[in-house]
Amino acid sequence: MSATATADAGHHEEHHGIGGHLLPSDPSVGLATSGKIGMWIFLLSDAFSFGGLLLAYGILRGGSSVWHHEGEPSLGINFTAGLTFLLICSSVTMVMAVANAAEGNKSKVTMWLALTALGGALFLTGQFQEYFGIWSEGLTHEGLHFGHSSYASTFYLITSFHGAHVFSGTLYILITTLRNARGKADANEIEILGLFWHFVDLIWILVFTFVYLL
Amino acid sequence: MSTDAPTSAPTEHATHSRRPYMVIFGLLFAFTILEVAVALPSMGVARGFKVSALIILALTKAAMVALWFMHLKSEFKVLRWSVLLPFAFPALYAVVLISEAAWRLLS
Repeated sequence: MSATATADAGHHEEHHGIGGHLLPSDPSVGLATSGKIGMWIFLLSDAFSFGGLLLAYGILRGGSSVWHHEGEPSLGINFTAGLTFLLICSSVTMVMAVANAAEGNKSKVTMWLALTALGGALFLTGQFQEYFGIWSEGLTHEGLHFGHSSYASTFYLITSFHGAHVFSGTLYILITTLRNARGKADANEIEILGLFWHFVDLIWILVFTFVYLL
Repeated sequence: MSTDAPTSAPTEHATHSRRPYMVIFGLLFAFTILEVAVALPSMGVARGFKVSALIILALTKAAMVALWFMHLKSEFKVLRWSVLLPFAFPALYAVVLISEAAWRLLS
C-alpha cells in the first residue's frame, strides 16, 4: 500500500514500513511496537516449551507407582520459597524500572535495573547452592542424580531450563543497564526487557508449585 | 479495555502510579506464604484439598504477574486474548493426559 493511498483512506496517522512500503498501524494492537509483538510471540513459544516439560512431568508422575525413590533427598521447600520471594522482588524492581523509563527518569531506571540484575544473580547463586552446595551440601551430594530416576531427571531438566532463562535474562538486563546508562536505551527497549523478566518470574511460580510443592 | 482504547506509547512521559504494583507484590508475597503453609506435611492438609489449593494459588499468582506486571490488563483486547487463549489448550491436554496416566496406574 502506498503512502498516498493510506493517506487517502484517512484512517491512521501512524505507519510502519515493511520492505520500503508504508503500512497503516494495526488498530488491534494499538501503539505496540514490532519489537514488543515479537517478544510476545517469543514468550508464547517459550511458554509452550515449558508447558511441554511440565506436561511430561505430570504424565510421568501421574503414571508412576513410586515417584520418590528411597535414598533420594526431598526438595527444600523453605529455601526455594526464599528464591521465589527473591524473583518476586526482582519483578517489582523491574516494573519500577519500566515505570521510570516511561516517565523519562533514566538514572532511576539504571538503579532499578541494576537491582533486578542483582536479584537474578542471587537466584542463580541459590540454584547453584541447591544443586552442588556452597555453604551446605547440595542435592547432587545427597544422592539426587540426573538419569537415576524420573523424579531426578525431570527436576534437573525443568529447573535448569528455567535457570538458563534467569542467566540469559540477567545478561540481557546488564547489557540494557549499560545501554541505558549511556543514554542509548529507550522506554520501549526497557518495556520489552521487562516482559522477558516477568515471564521468567511467572514460569518460576508454576515450576515452584508443580515441582516443589505438589 | 475495548479495542478502541489505545495503549500508552512507551515514549510518553506520563506519571505512573506505583500503588497497584505494591498491592500485587503484597498479594504475591502473601500467597507464597500460604502455598508453603498448605504444602508443608506438618500442616496435615488433605491431599485433594492441597492439590486444588496449590494449583489455584499458582494460577492466580501467574495471572497477577501477566495482567499487572506485564501490563496485559491494559493492552488491547485482541493482543490480550491472543496471548491468553492459547494456554487453554495445553491445560486441557494436561488434564486429559495426566488423568489418563493416573487412571491406567490405578486400574
